[in-house]
Amino acid sequence: MEEDTVDTVSFTVNGQPQRVEAYSSTPLLWVLRDHLGMTGTKYGCGIAQCGACTVHVNGEAVRSCQLPLSGLAGADVTTIEGLAAHGGETLQRLWAEMNVPQCGYCQAGMLMAAADLLKNKPKPSDADIDTAITNICRCGTYPRIRAAIKRAAGVAA
Amino acid sequence: MTAIAVDRRQFLITTGVVAGGMALALSPAEAATTAAPPLPWAPDAAQGYEFTPWIEIAPDSTVTVRVPNPESGNGTMTQMAMNVAEELGCSWKDIRVEIASINRNYAENHVYTKGSLPFFGGHGTDKVRMAHTMRLGAAARERLKAAAAARWSVPASEITAAESMLTHAASKRSLRYGEVAAEAAKTSLLAEPELKPQAEWTLLGKASPAKLSIPAIANGTAVYGIDVKLPGMVHAALKQVPVMGGRLKSFKADAVKHMPGVRAVIAIDPANSRKSPIKDETSFGLKGTTEVQHAVAVIADHFWQAKMALEALPVEWDLGSGTHYRDQTDIYQGMRSIRDTGEGKVVLKKGDVAAASGKRVVEAEYLSPYGENAVMEPLGGTVLVTADTCEVWCATQDTMQAFWVSVDETGLAPAQVKIHGTAMGGNFGRRTQAEDIRMAVAVARQYPGVPVKTIWTREEMFRQGRYRTPISTRFRAVLDDATGLPQAVSGDLCFAGDRPLFQLTQGYADPPYFNSGAIPNVNLTTINFPVHILNGAYRGPCFNSNAFITETFIDECAYAAGIDPVQYRLSLLAKWEKPWSDVLKLAAEKAGWGQKLPRGEGLGIAITNWPMATIPHFGSTMATVARVAVSKDGTVAVKRIDIAFDCGKVANADAVRAQIEGGTLFGLNMTLNEEVTIKNGAIVEGNYDEYPMLRMGDSLPEIHIHFEALSGHDRFDLMGELPVGPIGPAVGNAIYSATGKRLRATPFRKQDLSWT
Repeated sequence: MEEDTVDTVSFTVNGQPQRVEAYSSTPLLWVLRDHLGMTGTKYGCGIAQCGACTVHVNGEAVRSCQLPLSGLAGADVTTIEGLAAHGGETLQRLWAEMNVPQCGYCQAGMLMAAADLLKNKPKPSDADIDTAITNICRCGTYPRIRAAIKRAAGVAA
Repeated sequence: MTAIAVDRRQFLITTGVVAGGMALALSPAEAATTAAPPLPWAPDAAQGYEFTPWIEIAPDSTVTVRVPNPESGNGTMTQMAMNVAEELGCSWKDIRVEIASINRNYAENHVYTKGSLPFFGGHGTDKVRMAHTMRLGAAARERLKAAAAARWSVPASEITAAESMLTHAASKRSLRYGEVAAEAAKTSLLAEPELKPQAEWTLLGKASPAKLSIPAIANGTAVYGIDVKLPGMVHAALKQVPVMGGRLKSFKADAVKHMPGVRAVIAIDPANSRKSPIKDETSFGLKGTTEVQHAVAVIADHFWQAKMALEALPVEWDLGSGTHYRDQTDIYQGMRSIRDTGEGKVVLKKGDVAAASGKRVVEAEYLSPYGENAVMEPLGGTVLVTADTCEVWCATQDTMQAFWVSVDETGLAPAQVKIHGTAMGGNFGRRTQAEDIRMAVAVARQYPGVPVKTIWTREEMFRQGRYRTPISTRFRAVLDDATGLPQAVSGDLCFAGDRPLFQLTQGYADPPYFNSGAIPNVNLTTINFPVHILNGAYRGPCFNSNAFITETFIDECAYAAGIDPVQYRLSLLAKWEKPWSDVLKLAAEKAGWGQKLPRGEGLGIAITNWPMATIPHFGSTMATVARVAVSKDGTVAVKRIDIAFDCGKVANADAVRAQIEGGTLFGLNMTLNEEVTIKNGAIVEGNYDEYPMLRMGDSLPEIHIHFEALSGHDRFDLMGELPVGPIGPAVGNAIYSATGKRLRATPFRKQDLSWT
């Protein structure tokens, strides 16, 4: 910890160039939340268990609590705040229409994971959903998340 | 601060900002401009065209409903807005909600809590509060009509109000609500209007609008407690004494003060609470579970800096007497011993259990463990303390509790303390005690003039809980030789912990089996085993254990009598109100009760009521049937759940459905997976890798929810806690049916379920 250096790293978030100076170990999660003021990405566990912090980095869903600033140079990051402009609008609309969230705290991560799944598998099977959505929801909204993903994909519930 | 011989102020490191010297007078309006709109909390003073502090109508006809019961995911604020809208006659798309200001409540003669509650909990949206909020809507509607009538010089009785439009049909004139809101807000009525009959409702019981909170959740703009942003805000990371009741011995601030961003290293001592200058109006008091533990905190520019410095900070603790418990089995053994002393308090007595006789005796003991609420949003809060004010932004289930805890911690007059409620990332009872808010205030008090956001790490969450009350129970039944039904039931129950608030007998002493005369001789006792570990409100407090224990025991009696478990329960419910039997029969029928199943598969049933089964037509009753498949190696798959229920009537069917789905999965996880364990007095589990949670890939059951057993009784009763009751015993009873293994403790994952 004492050896941790302070780095300045440039990358883009939702298409906007950003330059952040912080501990090189600072996870993207806290870079987004504290340094850039983008609080849509949530802290849940800090150990890649819960998925509340899921964002897209270079087009893939990652748990931002595990990605340090030092690994972000040149990265293209999409967060929940930018999801609508990156193909997530249908999912977001269905989330509301189908009354998916309860407390909602995990749902930014759920939406980012779901958007990533649909990009890779536009017609996902139940098994595909099980494999892709490993996030935790304490309120138990899983049945509705599954139903909303299927409706967004146009596959039978 | 007796454990530390030096003034804590010497540890304040002032880098950049002079602690205490920076007068950052943040008004709510200024704060409001710094966070993403819309803000969840209401302003602290009347504004706009206010009809009552509950309802404001803007010139564009937007209706803002200010609700004192904060939203935590179950739709309480949306429900309150539906009640208002039903009578107000506004368009649903014009409705928005805010968390009411508890400061206004204090300053304006309890304007939000009279007729309502200052917290989210059971019955927050029940029929009484429904009528209250509907009356507010009706009065606003009549004032709008009166204003339009004055403008048009026609009798108000000729004006209709619907979809945010006021219409005078005869003269073909109409106005949007917003166009007369200014005049209407100044109008008063000679008499309160009557509420319309239920048959004329268009929204309640008819429509199922989704929660108003969702669009902001789905686009990332919802403001949870952890998301509050204020100018100049700094961050605190927190480490509380690992064993509850222990003390901070020493720490070396010098070791970390040079680290980037670090501003201060502080000690927290519960003895430093300055105490409320006047009598509080809390729900949970200001002692015990609402007090802070001894702790250290690092304040830094950013949370990661604070967390890094805290991890590097040398700290010594005096762990105290709690270390006496080597592990949880020491506690469970202590509970068993005190339970069996025969010194418990009698909580239900009918007839004479000693007089009963029969050849078949069923006797068994049951145990439910410690569990953590594991809400997804960590606890904490953002607080700005000055010499004579304290302003708090936080997620709380009980705004009143948060308010008085802040008054108590600072010692300030209530008028000098402000609380702004945010969206909440789950509560399940965890945000009732507000000790996390007290902690955030205690931290910020030592760094005055600057807003400080304190965040609990997930590890602090798990290890500093206000845990599910462990319960150890022994039941004994003497079965009637002729009927097989119990002639007598004796029960002895022991709670761990010593706070009566979290020692509830629902599900144990209130089932109709024991109270309707079906079992003539009953003797039930309770006792408690004091432990240093603090209990709290975990969804359906104690009921979540008692339901498992009682409904497993009744199942055992049925099997001992050789009678089908559904028939057995129906016999025991014969002297009780019909909706219970209707609910039980519907769930069984829909689940295909009685069907032949392959080996290793089974059906199990349970029925419970929350919050009080002894009162007819009260609370909500639910029967759950689980179908399980247990592989020979003991892996359990819960394949299908069928649920029938009676809460009287439903106001928003989809909201009820969502609570039943979510609550059932919550209860399933509680039963299969959840236990926090103890080592030398401290909680072992620190994160989700050690405390498994069901996920989508865990072969989740199909959940079938059946509405046909609703009695139609004129109440709209609660659905949040109830589903966690019947699911556990239904699954346990199904596993017995499938394997012959009787599960008398949770979590099931720690038990060998293999069979041959």
